Order: sequence, then C-alpha cells, then structure tokens
Amino acid sequence: MLKRKIVRDIRENKMAYIACTVVIVIGLVAYTSMSIAKDNLFMAREEFYEQFHFADIFARVKAMPYSRINELLDIQGIELVHGRLVKDVRVFMPEQDKNIYLRMISLDADTSHSLNQVQLLKGSFPEKDERSILLGDKFFEAHHLTLNDSITVIIEGKKEELKISGTGQSPEYIYALKDAQAIAPDPEAFEVAYMSYESMERLFNQPGMVNDISFTLKQGFEFKDVEILLKNKLEKYGLESLVERKDQISHAMLDQELMQLENMTKSVPILFLGIAAIILYIMLKRLVESQRGQIGTLKAFGYRTKEIMWHYLSYGLAIGFAGGILGGLLGTALSIIMTRVYQTFFSLPNLEGRFSLKYLLFGIVLSVVFCMIAAYQGTKGILKLQPADAMRPPVPVFNKKVWLEKIPGFWAAFTVQGRMAVRNVIRNKGRSFFIFIGIVFTFSMMAAMWSMDSMIDVMVMEQFTKVQKQDVKITFTKPMRSDNIMREIYLQKGVHWAEPMIEVPITLKYLNRKKDVILLSSIENSRLYNLLDKDGNKIPMPEDGMLISELIARQLNARVGDRVQVESIWAKDSPAYTYIAGIVPQYIGANVYMGQNALYEMLRQKGFATSVLISMADNYIPDLKEKYNTAQFIRSIDERQQSIREYEELLEMSTFVIWVMAAMAVITGFAIVYNTGIITLAERQRELASLRVLGMYPKEVLEVISVEQWFLGVLGIIAGIPMAFAMNKGLAVSMSSDLFSIPGITSTEALIQAFFGTIFAIWLAQKWVFRKVKQLDLVEVLKERD
Amino acid sequence: MGVILKAKNLCKYYQMGEVRVEALKGVDFEIYEGEFIVVLGPSGSGKSTMLNLIGGMDLASEGEIYYRNQPLHNVSEKVLTEYRRDAVGFVFQFYNLIPNLTAYENVQLSVEIAKNPLKAEDVLTQVGLQDRADHFPAQLSGGQQQRIAIARAIAKNPEILLCDEPTGALDFSTGIQVLKLLRDFNNKYKKTVIIITHNAGIARMADRVFYIKDGRLSRIETVENPVPPEEVSW
Repeated sequence: MLKRKIVRDIRENKMAYIACTVVIVIGLVAYTSMSIAKDNLFMAREEFYEQFHFADIFARVKAMPYSRINELLDIQGIELVHGRLVKDVRVFMPEQDKNIYLRMISLDADTSHSLNQVQLLKGSFPEKDERSILLGDKFFEAHHLTLNDSITVIIEGKKEELKISGTGQSPEYIYALKDAQAIAPDPEAFEVAYMSYESMERLFNQPGMVNDISFTLKQGFEFKDVEILLKNKLEKYGLESLVERKDQISHAMLDQELMQLENMTKSVPILFLGIAAIILYIMLKRLVESQRGQIGTLKAFGYRTKEIMWHYLSYGLAIGFAGGILGGLLGTALSIIMTRVYQTFFSLPNLEGRFSLKYLLFGIVLSVVFCMIAAYQGTKGILKLQPADAMRPPVPVFNKKVWLEKIPGFWAAFTVQGRMAVRNVIRNKGRSFFIFIGIVFTFSMMAAMWSMDSMIDVMVMEQFTKVQKQDVKITFTKPMRSDNIMREIYLQKGVHWAEPMIEVPITLKYLNRKKDVILLSSIENSRLYNLLDKDGNKIPMPEDGMLISELIARQLNARVGDRVQVESIWAKDSPAYTYIAGIVPQYIGANVYMGQNALYEMLRQKGFATSVLISMADNYIPDLKEKYNTAQFIRSIDERQQSIREYEELLEMSTFVIWVMAAMAVITGFAIVYNTGIITLAERQRELASLRVLGMYPKEVLEVISVEQWFLGVLGIIAGIPMAFAMNKGLAVSMSSDLFSIPGITSTEALIQAFFGTIFAIWLAQKWVFRKVKQLDLVEVLKERD
Repeated sequence: MGVILKAKNLCKYYQMGEVRVEALKGVDFEIYEGEFIVVLGPSGSGKSTMLNLIGGMDLASEGEIYYRNQPLHNVSEKVLTEYRRDAVGFVFQFYNLIPNLTAYENVQLSVEIAKNPLKAEDVLTQVGLQDRADHFPAQLSGGQQQRIAIARAIAKNPEILLCDEPTGALDFSTGIQVLKLLRDFNNKYKKTVIIITHNAGIARMADRVFYIKDGRLSRIETVENPVPPEEVSW
C-alpha cells in the first residue's frame, strides 16, 4: 500500500521530481560519458604505444651519420636507438587555397627494431627503391585520394611525384600537429607520410645521414639520467631539440585531454549531484512535515518507525535509481558520440565507443548514495515523532518583526504580498540560502561560459588583427640574408611593406629551471608584428634585453631584470646571456622576444632572417604564391585569412560545448527555483487560497512566491559577479598550456547575457509555478484544517 | 430595496468516481440589499456548497445565479475573481489569517485590492483591536483572530459579507461579540450580510432565515422582529 502512496505522491508533484531527476541526470551524463570516453582514449593509447613501440626520448639534429647512431647505445640507460630522416615538404595542390604540408619520415627496410612503428591501414608499405609513400590515413580521407594516386610535393625547390602505396598511422602522430604554434590538427593541411630510407636519402640528398633520433629507456631509468650525456654526444651534430615523451607534442596534447577529462569527471558530476541532493532534501523534508498526520496515523496503527522511515527513504531510492539509470544510459550514448568526435582528432586504432557496465553501475550507485543521504537527512525527523504529537498540527511558528522592517522606507516599498515574501526569506534561512547559492551558481556558470566564448574570440582576433598584421608570411627552410630577401620581395607586385623576421629555437635557463622555446625577433618599430599589453597598447621591442611571455615567466619563476642563459645552435658562443627586459601577455603560443639588433649581438651573427612578413594587396597574393610555390628554401607561405578561417572552424566546436554548459546552468537554475517555489506553494496553500478567496488574481498571489525569489535572485546575481570573475580566473589558469593561455577576463557582455539567462530561468520556473497557483482548489483548501 | 443576489434552479453535482453526488438540487431565492440572512442547515445539507456558489468560489452545474444583473454561472475564473474582489467579503470558521502578516497587515491586504476600501485603522478600531495592530495571529486569541478576519472582510467595504460558521470555533460570549460586529456592519453601512451556520440560535437575529435540507431550500422564514445579538443564545 505504501508503495502506491509513493507513486501517487510523486505523481502529484511530478514536475518537481522530474526537475530534480533532470539535475541528477545531467550530473550522471557528465560522469559516465566523460569516464567512458577517458577510458576509451586511455586504453586505445596504451595499446597503441605498446604495440608500435612508442619512444621515450626524441632528439632532432641537423645531420648525423646513420652509422654513428649505435654509439649512443653506450650511454647507460638507453635501451634502443632509432635514427630517421624527417623532412617537412610542401604539397603542390594549386586548386587548394591552403598551404598543405607533409612530414616525410624515413622507414627502415627491416622494421623489427624500429621505434614509433607505423600501423598499416590500407594498401602496402612502400617498396625500398620506389618513390612511393605510406600516407597518413586522415589526409588520405580528407583529400578523397585512392591507392596508387600520385601527389606532387616540392623538395629542394623541385616538384616530385610520389605514388601512394598505402595508408597508416603511428603513435607519434596520434594528434598530428605541425608544430606547437598549431592548435588543432587539420588533416587537410598537415599529415605525415612514410617513405623508404633509401628513397629519402636520395631525394633530399642526404646520403647516409639521419636528423631525427628516438630512444627507449631501460627499466628503472629516467630521462634526466641520460639527458646530459645525450646532449654532449649529440651537440656536435647540431642538436636542435631533445625532449622526453611527456613533452612530445602529440603525447602532450593527448595527455592534456585525458587530464582535463579526469578533472571534469571529478568535479562536474559532484556539483550537479550535490545540487540535486539538496533539492531532494528540501522536498522530502517538506513532504514529511506536511504528512505529519499521516505519519502519526501509521504509527498509531502500529507501523514501526523503521518501516515508515524506509517508506520515505524509498522516495530517494526511486529518484536515485531513475536518475542513475537514465543518466548512465544517456551518458553511455553520449560517450559513443564523444569517442566519435575524438576519432576525428586522434588517429588511434581501437578507439571505439563501448558500453561500460562498470561506469553504468558505479554511476547508479553514486546517484543512489547521494539521494539516500539527502533522503535520510530530510526525513530523519520522523524518528523523533511520537504518534500523538504527530497527529497534532505542528506548533505554530512564533512570528515577530524582522530587522529589515526597521529600515525606514524599505518596508513601505513592498505590497503586503511582498512583505509576506520577505518575511519568508528571513524565516526559512536554509532554503533561502539554497536558492541564493543556486542563483549564484547559475549566474556565474553562465557568465564564465560566455566569457570563455568571448575570451577565445579575443585571443584569436587579437592575434590576427593586432599582433600579426601581415597579409602573408613566407618562412624559409634555413636562415637567409635579409637584405637579399627584402630586395627580392619589394620587386613583387602589390607589396606595400615587408619586414624580415627571425625565429630561433633556444633553450632558456634561469637558475635551475629551463625551457625550450622559440625566440621571435622582429625589427625595432615593426609595423607588422606587435606585442600588446593587457589593454591592447603596443609594447615597443626593447633596444636590448629580452621580453618573455607571462606563461614562461611563471614556469621559470623569473622576474624583470633577471639574467638568463640562452643556448642556441645558432649562437657563435653558446651559451650566451641576456636579461629580462619585460614580461608580456601572450594568448596563443608561448614565446620570448628580442629586437633584431639585440639578437644579432647576442648570437654574434648579423643580417639574417628566417621568414619575412609582408603587407600587400589581396589580389596579388595568388601571383606571389604561384611564383614561390616551388621555390627552393621556402618552407611555407601562410595567409592570414586562411589562419583566421582555420581558427574559426576550430572554435565552432568549443562554442557548442559552451552553449551546452550554459543550457545546463539554466536547467539547474530552473530546477532550483521551480522546486522551492512548489514547496513554498505547498506549505502555504491555505494562505494563498485565502488570498484568492479575498479576490486576488493568481498573478497577485504568485507575488508572494515570486517576490521572494526575485529578491534572492537579485542578491544571487550580485554575489555571482565576483564569483564569475573568480571562476574565470580559475578556468583560465587550469586551461592554459604552452599552446595557448586564456586571458581570465570576464566580459561585460557575458555578465549581461548571464543576467538575462538567470532571469529567464527564474521567469520560466515561475511560469510553471503560476500554473499551480491557478489550479489551487479554493473550496478544498479552506474546508478544514489539516 | 433592490435584489442583490438571485438564484434560479441552482444545482451543484460532484462526480466522485462512479457516484454522482447531488449537493444542491435546484435552489431558488432572491436576496435584497441590506438584508441580514441566516442560512441554516445540518452538516451535509448543502449549505457549504451554497456558500461556495454565492461567494464565487465555484461554478454551478446547472441553473442560474446573478449578482445584481451579472451572471455568476457559466463565466470564466476571471469574472469570479473580479466578483470576489469587488463585491464579497469572507469570514471563515477558522479565520484563515496569514500567519506571517500582522493584524494590521492582514487588513491592509484587502484594502490594497479593493476599489472603495475603508481605512484599515478605522476598521481595526471598529472591531476594538486598534492596540493589537502590530500583533501576529499567533499572538492573538481565537476571538481576536476572528475579529481581525471580520475587519479584513469589511475593510474592503463589500456589498455582501459572507460568513461561514463565524462563531463555530468560539466560546459563547466571544461568539456574541462577533455577531454584534456583523450586525453593526449591516446597520451602519446598509450592506448585505449572509451567515451560514448550523446553529439555530443565531436565526433569531436575522431578517430572513433560509432552511436548507438535503440539497434543497425547504423553507424561507421572514422574522417579524429580529432580536439584537446580545439576546441571542444557544
């Protein structure tokens, strides 16, 4: 019988229970989907690494004889060494308006000892002496190629046709980024291609040489055990970089993704389940209070307290189960979609969506536990009730004036319904506090999300409209004489202005910390490359010393005026020294900067550039590209418009996520406001019905509830403003990486949007409560005292 | 004296599952301005149903009822609300005061929505509770609460004062005080007062008495010489 009572009680207030369940479902969807997606990613990665021998250490040199690499095995701790030729080439596809690059990597004839092996997906491995390649599968798909098609690449200034013998993927390029300046993989514009070593040494005219060496470590050894020795040995071959696995770009990106998922699975579900638990607690507490008489009757019949307790706990159990199962199943479904999205970013075999009984069950347990705790807390009052007491109505609350009434003028501003509302706020402190916190959460979450949206816009737009003002950037394969370059460029049609630019890989050391970074150097008073402070004002390039980005300053723990050591293969004397002249904000990438004269002086080299920035008429850009497309020594020609487009595409995805999160905030706000509204309505049915009998319109009666909620809503929004600022700061710190740092700015528009979002949630909830007010049965309510 | 309320073949049925309960089975009456009416009947006779229909809290299943010439049957909830708001003052057996409003604020509540209200202070003085204006209902005795409820009802200055067992929860002498207030309002403002009760003693102070039995108006009696409330007893 009592089971029927549960069903009927819930049905009577179905919207309130549904709202509570929805919040649980949101929490569990977040939990299951992210947990499963994380597991899928993690397992697929570990399997791939294991099977295809992903290396532990990665070194890049100018050139080293193949025959010498086995000497590196002498270093204690090194287990395996593998040398390859790795060269970036441009793909000749005139019909495409993008720059397209392939990273060509040599394959040994005998691959059994190779590291970073390639998994064959289609076709076959290239033959030893053939000019054929094994192409990254994503590139193959993106360009709708077929096996045995040829693609044209530009090697040493010459067009070369390469036949596609097959496609594959490797653990080294799961997340295929060209370099740290790229934010997301673009399989149309960058991928890897494998070719036999013999063909590559001939094509690139590097007989018997390698420029990329990977290592695995013996058990029990770490990178730092071998780092110095390796460095010493590789120095003479022109060591350009030496990183361990954790800093390898693809691995680092994947790791970051996994870590973010891990953090989110810990925080987001708890947040929503916590809110749901409080809602349930308040609802059940109210239910028990309103059913005192029934409880008394049951006790009088001889029901045991335990049985009655169990009856009320069953509400929590029912909601917990419903939310748990629904959330778990929806979460599993979402995880499959998420995994599919990951498949487009990550080249991982065995990355598949799968059903996970473990997380489904654990999710249900989590939901049930939260709900049961809430239900117990809400209903434990039953334990204390004696049957005779229970059947008597509760002792009326002794009312007295509240302190707010003493503020002159304040009290007079309210209608009588408003006064009822304000007194209710103060008398039901716990519930009022919950509404308040709920609104703070709803508002600040929305403000943070929308700020994030505009922050990303700021990042990108600032980068491409204020920082990098060039229309075209040409990058060379090696340093070139800048006076020759400038002369050449100014001969081209449509060029308004051009500047040489230098990009040098360096190792920056301060005390015992160090960091590999790219040093960017523009001419003093550059027109095309501007450093900006937080307010968007130009920071002049200093005459001497170095500017470093905030992120690097933080990582090195260095301050303005500190002396730093610079190691570079380009310096005549390495290491060289300079000092920090300033710290600058940088949103995309993390670099250090010097004026060109200061750099020349530090490197003791003069008059060279690695790229050139050009401002020119749009209609001449195709001619320029046409002319230099196949030129020797040109690595890339980048158009600003193309970069902006790429970023915008990438950002669509994050905008979607941001809106989903904002929608969840609105739903949660709605659930909180609606449920507390319903509870107030139930508690004060009699009073509200009396008001209706007095001749008030439902709208006027609603004021008793709505004024209370608006009052708390306004307070919540006000308190939500600093909360949003704090949340943004936190998000900015937690989401910043070497690739980009998000400015922790809360925009006014976001605050205004969040304001309207919150108002909308409250308004919508009240609209639903209003329906209940209209349905109040005047005759029934006033008939007798309960 | 004009007709203020008029009912023709007024019926109310409730569907309770399979069973149709006929609470009111065709009632006809006319009530005049300024009359003091007592509706008398045992419990279950249909008098509460009649109160609900007269008070605009419910709609008739059949038949017609008019306030002046305004029909109260087959109308929208909005029309009923307007009617309750402008024309009717209610007094209940259990007062139904708003517990977290003071006596004064409870009265003010109806002053705020009325078209032609009396002053809340004056009404409180009339019911003799001007010195309790700042008290909350929980701080007042039952009789005091009922007097506040009456003050709240008459502060609207309604055309009809509708009272449902107004003395039902009170002891005898407090009950008499309450009846006196109702009669005073009737005399002073010449407004219609309708008391619904099962207490036959109260009938002696009415101008007319409606006897309700088994859902029908069995008899309407005109009282030749109504006695003052002080002489009523039960």
